[in-house]
Amino acid sequence: MTNIAELLETAGLTGRGGAAFSTAIKLKAARENGAELIVNACDGELGAAKDAWIVAHHLHELIDGAALVAGGRRPHIRYAAHRGSRTAGLLASAGLPVLEVPHRYVSSEETALISLAQGGLAKPMTKRAPFVFGGRDSQGRKVPPTVVLNAETVWRVSQIHRLGAEWFRSFGTSAEPGPRLVAVGGHVARPGMYEASAGVALSDLLDSAGGLPPDARHVGVGGLGGVVLTAAEARSTIWETPGMKRHGGALGPGIVTVWNPAECPIETAARMISYGAGESAGQCGPCMFGMPALAADWTDLARNPTGKGRDHLLLRLSQLERRGACAHPDGVARFAQSALRTLAPEFAAHANHACQKGHKRHAQFV
Amino acid sequence: MPSSSEAARIAVDRVLCTGHGVCAQTLPGAIVLDEWGYPVLRHEAVEPEAAALAVKLCPARALYLR
Repeated sequence: MTNIAELLETAGLTGRGGAAFSTAIKLKAARENGAELIVNACDGELGAAKDAWIVAHHLHELIDGAALVAGGRRPHIRYAAHRGSRTAGLLASAGLPVLEVPHRYVSSEETALISLAQGGLAKPMTKRAPFVFGGRDSQGRKVPPTVVLNAETVWRVSQIHRLGAEWFRSFGTSAEPGPRLVAVGGHVARPGMYEASAGVALSDLLDSAGGLPPDARHVGVGGLGGVVLTAAEARSTIWETPGMKRHGGALGPGIVTVWNPAECPIETAARMISYGAGESAGQCGPCMFGMPALAADWTDLARNPTGKGRDHLLLRLSQLERRGACAHPDGVARFAQSALRTLAPEFAAHANHACQKGHKRHAQFV
Repeated sequence: MPSSSEAARIAVDRVLCTGHGVCAQTLPGAIVLDEWGYPVLRHEAVEPEAAALAVKLCPARALYLR
């Protein structure tokens, strides 16, 4: 292991789960504290599929990568996957220790996995300091040093070890180097897993999946914690942080979803927001009460779009920021804010009782 | 708001917080309550003495210093 941390630093590998934190720094802290490694193969975000793909196609490289990160002769490594999933089955058949995670949106969040790994519930914990140093949960129970890395991150570690930092840096931009898996799905001809890198045009990425269909009107990037763009914006956006930031987004966990044009996009967003509200772990008041209130406000605005209703929704969104143990409310608020902006013409149409989808359900849906 | 050199930085353990609202009274200005009584941090930096008292008086032991 001459110096894997230095190699990763040279390569510029960052976490592929969406947070984009330096893997070298995490690895160093993990080694110094003798932390257990949890490889997160849950594909927790809506539309995510890359972790399953890696386990199905590159399991040996994933195992190599985990050993490189953990180091030592008897490394403590576990693989997190949703209970009963094909991925959990594949990991178990390979004789790997599997942390079986319940099918909830927040259960594969970093601190929720750590809680589950310590015999607690798969619910997020307040992170007073990174758990790689060890710490305590809110009830005061001791949490040993634990580090969570996304499965793609771990896979990339083994690739960098084998092929070198220069190979890695030959992909992407200098600020965001390396190949990245992207799940392209929804209303496209060939949904699936594609290898891309930062700096590609979003339209090129969509072309690999059969192109943006002419009737497509909206493209989601990053799932429920991401943003939604108009088709025109998607055609002119570069998939890298500066390009995505302009729309309030990020590269995230590598998910691009073309929304079904047959459904009213306000309703698509409503469905996602309601799902997000239902997936609150119910621990933190601002999320437990704020998320259902957001879903209700969204529905009200869809039915009766007024400036007052819009302002109320914006206030609601601001009150979800940084007010949970985890970033679930922040993610859904970001998504709702983006959808509110992108779907402004649709809201205007609703105000004139002229939803282009022609459905009359807005008057009734609760 | 005190200058950053002498200020304490407060934070809320959102899992522990049950919305008693005492902090909004011990730290008026820095903390207000939302419609359900949960604290909204206007700013994190407060005077150390006031911060220490607010932490001590939080019934849920949710308020802490960073």
